[in-house]
Amino acid sequence: MTDPAALWVNGRPYSTELPDDERLLDTLRWRLGLKGTKEGCRTGDCGACTVLVDGRSVLSCLTLTREVSEEAILTVEGLEADPVGRTVLEAFVQEAGLQCGYCTPGFVVALTGLLKERPNASPEELLEDLQGNLCRCTGYLSIRRAVVGLAKART
Amino acid sequence: MIRADAPLKVRGGVEFGVDLETPGMLHAVLVRSPVAHGQMRALHLEEARRSPGVVCAVSHAELAALLPAGSGDPERPVFPQEEVMYHGQPVAAIAAHTLAEARRAAKLVKVAIDPLPLWGDIESIYPEWPGSDEGNSPRINAHVHARFGEVDRILERSREVLREKYRTSGIVQMALEPHACLAHVTGGHWRVTTSTQSPYGVREDAASILGLPEERIVVEASWVGGGFGGKAAALLEPYALVLSAAADRPVKLQLSYAEEVELSRSTLPAVIRIESALRDGRIAARRVRLLLDSGASLPGRDFATGYAIGFIAGPYQIDAVELEGYAVRTNKPPFGPHRAPFVPQCAFAAESHTDGLARLAGMDPIAFRERHGLRERGLTPLGQQVGPFGLHAGLARAREMSAVWRAELPAGTGIGVAVGFWSTGSSAGGEIQIRLGPTGLVLETVEAEIGSGSVVRGLVVVASRSLGLPPEAIRVERTDTARGPMDSGVYGSRTTAALGRAIQEAALRLLEELARRVPGPDELKLDWTGAQVRVRRGPHSVELATVLTEAERLGGGIATQGRHYGRTGEIDSGRVLAGSFYGYGDFIGAVQLAAVDVDRETGRVRVLRYAAFQDAGRVVDAATYRAQVEGGVAMGLGEALTEETRWDAEGRIENAGLLDYRVPTLLEVPPIHVEAIEGFPGAGPDGAKGGGEPPVIPVPGAVANAVCDATGARVREMPLTPERVARALKLI
Repeated sequence: MTDPAALWVNGRPYSTELPDDERLLDTLRWRLGLKGTKEGCRTGDCGACTVLVDGRSVLSCLTLTREVSEEAILTVEGLEADPVGRTVLEAFVQEAGLQCGYCTPGFVVALTGLLKERPNASPEELLEDLQGNLCRCTGYLSIRRAVVGLAKART
Repeated sequence: MIRADAPLKVRGGVEFGVDLETPGMLHAVLVRSPVAHGQMRALHLEEARRSPGVVCAVSHAELAALLPAGSGDPERPVFPQEEVMYHGQPVAAIAAHTLAEARRAAKLVKVAIDPLPLWGDIESIYPEWPGSDEGNSPRINAHVHARFGEVDRILERSREVLREKYRTSGIVQMALEPHACLAHVTGGHWRVTTSTQSPYGVREDAASILGLPEERIVVEASWVGGGFGGKAAALLEPYALVLSAAADRPVKLQLSYAEEVELSRSTLPAVIRIESALRDGRIAARRVRLLLDSGASLPGRDFATGYAIGFIAGPYQIDAVELEGYAVRTNKPPFGPHRAPFVPQCAFAAESHTDGLARLAGMDPIAFRERHGLRERGLTPLGQQVGPFGLHAGLARAREMSAVWRAELPAGTGIGVAVGFWSTGSSAGGEIQIRLGPTGLVLETVEAEIGSGSVVRGLVVVASRSLGLPPEAIRVERTDTARGPMDSGVYGSRTTAALGRAIQEAALRLLEELARRVPGPDELKLDWTGAQVRVRRGPHSVELATVLTEAERLGGGIATQGRHYGRTGEIDSGRVLAGSFYGYGDFIGAVQLAAVDVDRETGRVRVLRYAAFQDAGRVVDAATYRAQVEGGVAMGLGEALTEETRWDAEGRIENAGLLDYRVPTLLEVPPIHVEAIEGFPGAGPDGAKGGGEPPVIPVPGAVANAVCDATGARVREMPLTPERVARALKLI
């Protein structure tokens, strides 16, 4: 039932035993100890578990680990070492685009993915595409200030 | 100024309850009742116990051997022995090596429950008002009644009387982090680390439920991924503790989102009947009758009716007021606190109704509220003097802004106003210890930062001002209930106000102690070099380290304590006819404006602009205050427009998940103009009042009034879903 799998996360190779039906979220959190990726609804409705797979935003709660074992996975722990990710982290810190911080990893990873895909996207386009990420504390307004500030700083 | 927890949180670097992990830990699952009301006939755990990976399974029958006293409070059993009171109520729990194994085993539990008649919808139980002989009925958890002035006579004899019935829905906190805890019972110590707003509250509850002395239980908070009242009492902890006692291993228990909705102790549905008499353009009398679903709350333990009802008539000077409420026992999870518990619902009814009266009186709604709003010496319906109260200052600002919006927004846009009032929960007591060492100041508290910023920012700012040290020289260290000091919890808009006062007291003591050690004619000051604390008196300055004793150097510095046990306000007991009401602390006034566009074909409401003018006493930290008001308004918009729990005929929640329980999304929250009204001081540091709950209160009323302004249609049920608005517009 469990076979070894090779994973490539945040630029590092990992090898781990895992069952075929394991979700990427659980592999990251409990096998690799990368608990920055948060478990929310497990049904794809909240965005808290967002990671990047080959640069694309993916909900790790709905992704089987084996499906992505050949690809480059970027989690919140890897953003610091990523030039785009670092600017996103800085923008969220400066504007305090967070309160409890539970949805935050999902937001910063998703925004990093959007900016990699479309470096010249307007703030409105970015906000439109972040609607799948839920936040219960901020009313999204400090998050919006962080996104708008970042988009303006880039152009 | 950077929020201290932001750099960690953006990197996913804080450990929430869901992240807790320890070697040898087991994973637990709750086995939950498939029926909402029934008699337990049989429960068989044998097959589950034999399932691979299972270490233990417990139900009521196993408790006697696990708990030193054999059982806890018989009224609050961990697992039901006889009567199941709501759908999904845990009847057993299983711990296994993996979560998947625990889940598989849970399916093998055989439970037989004979269904009993369902106590579901309160309006089916009491289509009209409960009869006077119903007060002692087992269906009534609480009855409260207060009156002053000749309400009956005025209502009977007035020509202009507005009588209305409002309905409000159940809601859930839906913090993004589900409840999660890690328990370890070892060596007679019952220890649990948990995502909580109140470690001491959890300890008290768990001790009562498990029949243990409080000192045997140690509770420590993890970081908390949102609470909103839902993490202020014990929920999962007793289950995890008994499993750990049975397994002799650490046990982790975490809820799924569906369980969050089904087990949440939150606001339940209500019917509010409200009637007012108008005389010469003034409200001459008001009567409000509340029928509140209190779920499976225990008789006498219902707090919501007695607490919320004091706010239900609105912050108005009215000559005669009657308030009466019944809390009805039903087969739903027990009612519990949800950010200003049940007061947004009260204000929805009172403010919609007051808008209707303004129309009847032919007056502008803001001017009508200015005519009635409580002033400093004014008395609340329960006879409490309201004290410094920024309501009128807020109304004046709302009048100006509403005129600007009218001029700027297109015709057809609805603008609505609503007010609310609330009390700083500063009567909930607390203590703190501060420790000044050579490399900075440490605030020692049991409280976790739950997101509001009250711990990492509010308390730090108060300490910074009290000691003259910059925030970067101060850090918060979390303790547990074994170390203390005691604090009531991060709830009731009290943390910065109440614990802030405790910090001020501790700071004063610290400065006095230093003054004894570093004598001199000049005032004592603390300096921060960027790495070290120095003590200065005039030209004389020394490193703090040089004035510490050997023991203090070993222990990290000079420690002092401060406490704040605020007074509870006194109500006029002559006005109370039945039940118990609460005396409130510092009153806070909140005034809000909403501008909406209503789709005349679908009934969909879009909020275009929002403004909140809130009585702050004195703002402690502007950025944190603004963030609290923004987040509170957003939560209120969810309550106003989309959020409701729906029960089916069998007493099951139909929408237990984020797809169907709709919280606001990013583009649904409009820009919010936040304005703090200062100059009406409260009892917090430098006059601060609570800030976290008031912003939610007026929102549903403001939105409903804006919808009425736009369309002329009054929606008397919240949330204002497109269907309800379309019905009010007679589209369907």
